[in-house]
Amino acid sequence: MESEPLLDSLRNAVTAMPDDVPLRLHLAALLVRAGQRDEAVRHLGAVLQRDPGNRAALAMLTSPHPSAPADPADSPERKPAPAKDSVPPSAEQDGEPPSSPTGPGAPAKSPAGDDATASYDWSQAEDELRDVLPAMFVGEAGSTSAGLDEARAYDAEPAGLTLADVAGLTEVKQRLEAAFLAPMRNPELRKLYGKSLRGGLLLYGPPGCGKTFIARAVAGELGARFITVSFADLIDMFVGRSERNIHELFEVARRNAPCVLFLDEVDAIGQKRSQLRNTPMRSAVNQLLLELDDVASDNSGVFLLAATNHPWDVDSALRRPGRFDRTLLVLPPDGPAREGVFRYHLRERPVAGIDLARLSRLTDGYSGADIAHICETAAERALLDSVSRGEARLIGQADLEAAVSEVRPSLGTWFDTARNVALFANEGGAYDDLVAYLRKRRLI
Amino acid sequence: MLDLGRYDEASSLLARVVSAEPGSSRAWCLFARAHLGADRYVEAVDAANRAAAIEPAEEWPHRLASNALMHLGNHTEALRAASESRRLAPSYWQTHVCVAQAALAASQPSLAASAAAEARRLAPNEPDVHFLSGKVALARGDLESARGHQERALALDPAHSGAMNELGRIRLRRHDTAGAIRHFINAARTTPGEHIYSRNIDVVILRTLSRTIYVFVLVALIMLWVPAVLHIDRFPFALGFGVLAAGTAASFSVLVLRLPREARGLVRRTLRTRRVAIALLVAIGGVAVAFAAVAFVPSTELPQTLPVAIIITVAARITATARLRSPVSKNQRQGGRVT
Repeated sequence: MESEPLLDSLRNAVTAMPDDVPLRLHLAALLVRAGQRDEAVRHLGAVLQRDPGNRAALAMLTSPHPSAPADPADSPERKPAPAKDSVPPSAEQDGEPPSSPTGPGAPAKSPAGDDATASYDWSQAEDELRDVLPAMFVGEAGSTSAGLDEARAYDAEPAGLTLADVAGLTEVKQRLEAAFLAPMRNPELRKLYGKSLRGGLLLYGPPGCGKTFIARAVAGELGARFITVSFADLIDMFVGRSERNIHELFEVARRNAPCVLFLDEVDAIGQKRSQLRNTPMRSAVNQLLLELDDVASDNSGVFLLAATNHPWDVDSALRRPGRFDRTLLVLPPDGPAREGVFRYHLRERPVAGIDLARLSRLTDGYSGADIAHICETAAERALLDSVSRGEARLIGQADLEAAVSEVRPSLGTWFDTARNVALFANEGGAYDDLVAYLRKRRLI
Repeated sequence: MLDLGRYDEASSLLARVVSAEPGSSRAWCLFARAHLGADRYVEAVDAANRAAAIEPAEEWPHRLASNALMHLGNHTEALRAASESRRLAPSYWQTHVCVAQAALAASQPSLAASAAAEARRLAPNEPDVHFLSGKVALARGDLESARGHQERALALDPAHSGAMNELGRIRLRRHDTAGAIRHFINAARTTPGEHIYSRNIDVVILRTLSRTIYVFVLVALIMLWVPAVLHIDRFPFALGFGVLAAGTAASFSVLVLRLPREARGLVRRTLRTRRVAIALLVAIGGVAVAFAAVAFVPSTELPQTLPVAIIITVAARITATARLRSPVSKNQRQGGRVT
């Protein structure tokens, strides 16, 4: 382990020269070896901010790290037992021990400790760190690598949320429990009834109403890692790359099982092939279908969640049994949920005398994103007022109510389309819950 | 992004591309396309003009400009830009489609027809070519040919909701309301995100209701003369009003029963709306007042009362129709026209 004085000196140097990328990289490498992963990741993040393509930083962030001490007190000479899923497959198969930081060319033996940058052998460091622990999110117990050895990185992270953190939406929670969580949590009963774990859950509903938040909470309920990707992470303009990215994503998920794989904006990734004139996009949909069917691989332990604002644009093949065969409508937040959203967005703002119940009543039909915008508008109003009066004041109920009257609900267009779906395209009762909601709100 | 219809995101990305490569005509064209998709027509024209300035021999910028100008209502310039694109690439079917569209918008159906015919010759298996040919034929009043083209477009692309909508319009021109609504429903089912189709259904329902009121008022106007001409008693006259009202309601019900299930639901919903209720109240109330006036005045005063009754009836009809045609939502701002 590196001595603290050396690390302190390097920290001071980095503070003095925040844009010195090699210096930061070196400090990060030493911090990884010293087991101070949180700080190392912060520095690597800063490096990537300044140089997004920095290979050394990416390698350090994404490579497995079997030999890094789990406990900072561990000495580098004591080789800790690597987590099984963090061992590179080749090493495991060959029975070779993972490379150790004390091996040839390790930074500890290089003169780098005396001279931070001049004689540091970056190639060796990269080679050494290639098999070093991932630290995708350092400091979180059980965090392991997403197992990436390719250029793309998908974050497999603990969800950090449960359904208890989702305010309101009782009906949605009950349906989630019945349709998805209960079978997952009760393996014995599941076996007894011969219930398969195949298939995924498609969350749909208007934009800005918390589908991603709920997906994360589901992952937390299952105690699984959470991998979230949106279509922009997968779709590539070059032919064949999108398919490769999709395959890679599922491989990462399989390596990180149990995990929840959340495909955001699945209508873009899995759009109706009849609507796609461009062949590469069709191939991407086909690849997604192939991965979902796990013809060549085993998807056990990979729980599939997807979200879309436009389920009617999703290829029907994606919604067949064994794929995204269950759907859940996530509606605009109800009263308690709106209160929760207000509370969340005002929690770090200087507020006084806020009547959340009244605000909740005033914002019936607003999305979570609309409410966030209302809080932003109210803060802006209070700020401008403070500037004009030359005296800071707290955000009050009047600011929020003025913001409510200023910000209009953004869900009108979505409900226009939803009305068409409910009236004309509810084949087989696929959108019965949507129809019931629209009837309840007298929208059809 | 453009293929997925995510025009705003595409615009943001392309804004960076064009600032990094301001000399790339293709980048400007893609930028124009993104603006077009996002309904920012002025910006689209600007981007297309920049592309045309960089590569004057390229046809795509002119087509994009033509499309944007058409949306801006500048049909003369749109047709000029389309003609320029056709001059630059006469063997490319899309340039002929562009000319046909611009000519149609500029109310030059003959020019549109010849451009559409050329596009069909160059791309006989392209559904959009047949779709446009059908629109041109409909504009020229050739319903049979229009139907043939739209059916061909649907045969080539069974999910072509535009062709379904056009078939609905053709049915409407043939006064086949139920058939038209069926086509509009198919179009709305295929592309629920396109609100024109459901708006067309609403418009057709309101138009049918308006026509029913018209027929009701017309018959009432004739019946108002009966006491003056035949000197009948007030009871048979009042009975006649009842029969007229019941007959009109029955004929409307028969028409509704012929509609698909989804449309029947829409009719019920439409009848429950405030403006339809007011329109019906005004029409029926006006006619009832006129009948009562004629029925209850002494026969000697009929010559003075009859004109007043007729005026009341006509006014009721005009008020009711105006009420029905008033837009109720943003989707219906285009008035009572099927598009």
